[in-house]
Amino acid sequence: MDPLFYIADTLVFAGIFALLTLSLNLEYGFTGLGNFGKVAFFMAGAYTYAVMASAHMPCYLCLIGAGLAAGLIGFLITFPVLRLREDYLAIVTLSFGEILRITIKAQEGIAGGVQGIVVPGAFAPFTDSVRLLALANIGLVLFCLLFTFLLVQLLTHSPYGRILRGIREDETAMQAIGKNTVIYKAGALATGSVIAGVAGGLFAQYISFIDPYMFLPLVTFFVWIMLILGGPGNNWGALLGGLTVELINRGTRIAKDYLSLPVDPNNLQFILFGMLIILFLLYRPQGLLPEGPVKTAARKEVLRWRSSLPTGS
Amino acid sequence: MEILVADRLIKDFGGLRVLNEASLTVTEGTITGLVGPNGSGKTTFFNVLYGLLKPDGGSIHFRGEPITGLPPYRIYRKGMALGFQIPRLISRLTVLDNLLLAVRQEDGTGLGTALFARRHWQEKEKGLTYKAREILELVELAPLALKPAGELSGGQRKLLEIGRALMADPVMLLLDEPAAGVNPVLGRKIYATLERLQREKGLTFLVIEHRLEMLLDFAHYVYLMDAGRIVLAGKPAEVIAHPDFYTIYAGESYQWLS
Ligand SMILES: Nc1ncnc2c1ncn2[C@@H]1O[C@H](COP(=O)(O)OP(=O)(O)O)[C@@H](O)[C@H]1O
Ligand SMILES: [Mg+2]
Repeated sequence: MDPLFYIADTLVFAGIFALLTLSLNLEYGFTGLGNFGKVAFFMAGAYTYAVMASAHMPCYLCLIGAGLAAGLIGFLITFPVLRLREDYLAIVTLSFGEILRITIKAQEGIAGGVQGIVVPGAFAPFTDSVRLLALANIGLVLFCLLFTFLLVQLLTHSPYGRILRGIREDETAMQAIGKNTVIYKAGALATGSVIAGVAGGLFAQYISFIDPYMFLPLVTFFVWIMLILGGPGNNWGALLGGLTVELINRGTRIAKDYLSLPVDPNNLQFILFGMLIILFLLYRPQGLLPEGPVKTAARKEVLRWRSSLPTGS
Repeated sequence: MEILVADRLIKDFGGLRVLNEASLTVTEGTITGLVGPNGSGKTTFFNVLYGLLKPDGGSIHFRGEPITGLPPYRIYRKGMALGFQIPRLISRLTVLDNLLLAVRQEDGTGLGTALFARRHWQEKEKGLTYKAREILELVELAPLALKPAGELSGGQRKLLEIGRALMADPVMLLLDEPAAGVNPVLGRKIYATLERLQREKGLTFLVIEHRLEMLLDFAHYVYLMDAGRIVLAGKPAEVIAHPDFYTIYAGESYQWLS
C-alpha cells in the first residue's frame, strides 16, 4: 500500500483527537470542569455534518453547523447543573453521551439510526486522484487544528484565561472578587463543545460513513488519556498527548502481529494505556508538558521592573 | 453617614442559630472593630454580609441600597471587598496574577474581548502592573511578584489577601483578622497602613480582631459579639472598660480560669 495513505490516516486521526484534547483541556485543564461525555459533542458534530452534507451544503458551512450544534447542545445540557456541585456535571455529561448514542441507534428516522449514514466527501467532486484526496484531508484537518490551537492559546493567555484558572482552583474566591463564575464555566463548556463538534464534523467527512457504534464512551476515555499524558493546562501538551497516544495506538496495532504474548494481543493497547495512566497520575500528574504561567503584557512588564529591584529573586 | 447597615440578621445551621438578630452599623470613613469569643459568629456574620451565605432573616443595606441575598460578585462590584480569615489565594498563579484577578472592571475578561480587543487590554494590563506594584510595595511582596502564590509563607499569604482586596479600589473592606499569623511588628504595620488608607482615601474598614491593643490604637468604634448577637457597642476604650466586657470576651475560658 502507498505509505501516503497510512501517513494521511494517522495524521487525520491524530489531528481530530488533538482537537478533542484541546477542547477537554479548555474545560478540564484550565477550568477544572470534568466533562466525561466528550464523545456526545463529537457525535453531535459528526451527525450535524452528515445531515447538512447530505443536503448538499458546502463543507465549510457543514463544519460551522457541526460546531454550533454541538456548542448549543453543550450549553443547554450543562448550564442547569453549573450551579450545583461539580459531581453533577460529571454525571450529566457521562449519561448524556450514552443517551444520545442509544437514541440515534433506536430511531431509524434520525440520520439512518442503527444503519448509519453515508457522508458525502467534501473533496470527491473536485478530484479523482486518491493521493490528492489524502493530501486535501490532511490539509483540512491541520488547518482546523492550527486555527483552534491559536484560538485556545489566545484565550488562555488573557485575563479571561486567568479567570478560568482561578475558577479551577477556588470558585468561591473568584466570586468574592467579582467574577460571575457560572457564566465563565458555561463559556468554557460551550467553547469546548464547539471545538468537539468541529472535530466530529471532520471525522464524519473523512471516514464518509458514520453509525452509532463509532461513538462509544471509549472515545471520551482516549481523550482523557491524551490530556493526562500531554499535560492538563498546557495547549502544547494537549497537542503532544493527542499525537503520542495516536502513535502508540497504531504502534500497538502493528506490534501485536509480531509479538507472542500470554494475553489476547487485541488487549495490548488497553493494558499499555491503563499502565500509562496509573504511572502518570502517580509520578507525573502535570503530564509531559507542565502548565506554564499566564503570558500577558503584565508579566513582561513586571519582569522588566523586577530586575531593577534590590532584593529581586 | 452610615455606609453599611445590618438589621437583625438571622442565620441557622441546621438547628443551630449562629446569628441571632445581629445588627450593626458602620459609619463611612471609619475603622470599625468586631470582637467576640471564638465561635460567637463573627466569620458567619461576614459571610452573610458579603453574600457568601444567605441570611434566614433580616436585611443589609450598603450605601443606601439593599444588598440582602445578592451574590458576592455583585456586592464586590458595588465597592465592597472581603479578606478571608484563611486566605483563599489561587496557589498556582503568581502573586501578580492574584492581584490582576481582583481588578473590578478589567478589560479582556470576556470571551469576545479576550480575543478581539487584545491590543487594548494588553495596553491596560501594562498600566495595571504599576498599581499592582504600589500595592505589593505596601504589603512588602514586590520582589515575589512572579512567584506562585502557593509558595508564600502563611504571613505573606495573609498580606496578599489584603492586597488583593485593595486591588479593586473598594470603598469598604471587610477583613477577618487581618494581622493573624503575621509577626507583631508587621501586624502593627498592617493596621498603620489601613489607618493611612482610611485617613487619606476615606476607605471604610470593618475588621474582626482579637488583639485589644490593636482595637484601642486603631479602631474608631467597636462591636462586641456573643452567641450570635451584638451585646456591646461604643468607642473602644468604653467597650473594653465595660464591667461585662471580659466575662463575655473571654467566654468559656474565663469561667474556666475563675
Ligand atoms: N458551615 C457551617 N455549618 C455548621 N456550623 C457552622 C458553619 N460555619 C460555622 N458554624 C458554627 O457557627 C458558629 C460560629 O462560627 P464562626 O462564625 O466561624 O465564629 P467566629 O468567627 O466568631 O469564631 C460555630 O459554632 C461554628 O461551629
Ligand atoms: Mg472567625
